[in-house]
Amino acid sequence: MSILELKKVQKIFGSGRTKVEAMKKTDFEAEKGELIAVIGPSGSGKSTFLSLAGGLQTPTSGEVMINGTALADLAEKKRAKLRLKEIGFVLQASNLVPYLNVGQQMQLLNKVKKGNMRKEEAETLYQTLGIEHLLHHFPKDLSGGEKQRVAIAKALYTNPSIILADEPTASLDSDRAFEVMNMLKEITKEKQKATIVVTHDTRLIDDCDKVYKMIDGKLELQEKIHHMI
Amino acid sequence: MFLAWNEIKNNKLRFLLVTGVLVLISYLVFFLSGLANGLEQLNREAVDKWEADGIILTEEADLRLQQSILSADDFDGNGVDEYTELTQLSAIASNGTEKENVYIFAVKEDSFIMPAVTEGNVFMDAGEVIADDTLKENGFAIGDELSLSSTDETLEIVGFTDKARFNAAPVLFTDRNTLETLQYGETVEEADDAVNAFVIRTDNLGRVETDEALQVVDTEIFIKNLPGYTEQNLTLTWMIYFLFIISAVVLAIFLYVLTIQKISIFGVMKAQGISSGYLARSVIGQTFLLSLAGVWIGVVLAVVTGLFLPAAVPVAFNYIEMLIYGIVLIAVSVIGAFISVQTIVRIDPLKAIGG
Ligand SMILES: Nc1ncnc2c1ncn2[C@@H]1O[C@H](COP(=O)(O)OP(=O)(O)OP(=O)(O)O)[C@@H](O)[C@H]1O
Ligand SMILES: [Mg+2]
Repeated sequence: MSILELKKVQKIFGSGRTKVEAMKKTDFEAEKGELIAVIGPSGSGKSTFLSLAGGLQTPTSGEVMINGTALADLAEKKRAKLRLKEIGFVLQASNLVPYLNVGQQMQLLNKVKKGNMRKEEAETLYQTLGIEHLLHHFPKDLSGGEKQRVAIAKALYTNPSIILADEPTASLDSDRAFEVMNMLKEITKEKQKATIVVTHDTRLIDDCDKVYKMIDGKLELQEKIHHMI
Repeated sequence: MFLAWNEIKNNKLRFLLVTGVLVLISYLVFFLSGLANGLEQLNREAVDKWEADGIILTEEADLRLQQSILSADDFDGNGVDEYTELTQLSAIASNGTEKENVYIFAVKEDSFIMPAVTEGNVFMDAGEVIADDTLKENGFAIGDELSLSSTDETLEIVGFTDKARFNAAPVLFTDRNTLETLQYGETVEEADDAVNAFVIRTDNLGRVETDEALQVVDTEIFIKNLPGYTEQNLTLTWMIYFLFIISAVVLAIFLYVLTIQKISIFGVMKAQGISSGYLARSVIGQTFLLSLAGVWIGVVLAVVTGLFLPAAVPVAFNYIEMLIYGIVLIAVSVIGAFISVQTIVRIDPLKAIGG
């Protein structure tokens, strides 16, 4: 069984003249241990796709299944619980709480959920992301890239089975971007997670199992071209 | 509480302002309640001290002590446990330097309304009086000779008693002979035995039998009809009630604005899957903490202010009443927070996705 499955999912915003079909009828599956990249031009519907997959918005038609549960069947409260348990979001905009320092961002997750990373695991994570020295800093005192790395740590901290990352490497230098991508891959393989990464950086997609291209709300699987240059 | 407390720590100025508003409102509530209470005391203290259940006045006196004139043998104690007569006169008393509006009560020395002396002696000879100790604070002393506005006779303070103010003036206690001398002069040997009222103690006011022309009045009703008493009281009580309403509105607005500012943060947390319930509890817990702090500081300020006010301002704090008002203020704040909670519940986690 796929951990994440979209069946004929469609999303339409507005109506009449302002109608936008942000996502055309799409079937999609992600398996455990799969690292999937989604590329595509700005405004093509990549963020919309992720938020539908993560249950942040409901599709106009079609069905989203997470771990065999249809999201549409759940009340918002249950859906929030499912998000907390199964999904790690790395959002395009910063998703840090401004009045908590980096360490406390993780502590908050301990308050609302059990089964998060153990101390040693978390420390390794911080080191990989290069934020172990920032635990006492507040978001306002972090650079854009540092914020992004903390956001990634936050998404992984809850041991989700699905990781949805929207441009997680956008504000990182290329060395760090590769490192982060490698780490995502490692975690995906090692812990059998399904990871979907939206990115515009085509250099980063080589290591992915599948690459989709989003064009005007249509998701197309790309043939992987190996050994190019 | 984790979220609530960390937010307070990191936005000290903002929360200091909210608490400041709370402090000011609760300060005002507590101070007004102290004032209302003080004014009550000022009017009724002497009557409360009687621990009487009722008072008998003439029907035509319309509940005013001064207007009620009856004879000492008009009532024979039918249906009461205890009763005694009361005769009163109001006057301006002066010891040469200080002047004060006073009531002079003539009481029987062996009656239950005879005050206990806290300093000095009981009146014995003609012209001797026991005075309420606010007079002492105002510059009167034992041995002072008092001249009165309405007569050439003089009185002498031989002792003080506490808690003896009636209708906003201190009371002088004496016997009926002295009072009659003040009223009719020394020449009148055989004055009529007119008194103003009978003070009674009984389990059942309804059982008390009197002449047609007399009226048995519940002590509480008698007090309520003291000139100005109910008016003063209602004015202040309504001010306090309005303050509760105003504070509820001000706080609700404050908290709402704070919540609106945090919509995107709440959205982020909700996207992650943190429940509305957890966020709502955090906001309510925060409000509770702030209002508890605000109310507490308000109490302290009000009581301290009370200590430093001149004696002429009648503040007296009733701590049980303050406790109730404090709880109401905190409850009102928490109710205000519930409006914000509704906003939190409605926040769309999608707001957090941004670009
Ligand atoms: N809430 C909304 N209401 C109306 N239109 C929307 C809404 N959200 C997205 N859209 C539209 O849907 C389309 C897809 O938007 P989306 O944010 O998914 O693009 P994207 O591929 O993530 O772009 P980018 O790379 O710039 O982040 C856009 O045309 C956008 O204007
Ligand atoms: Mg996007």
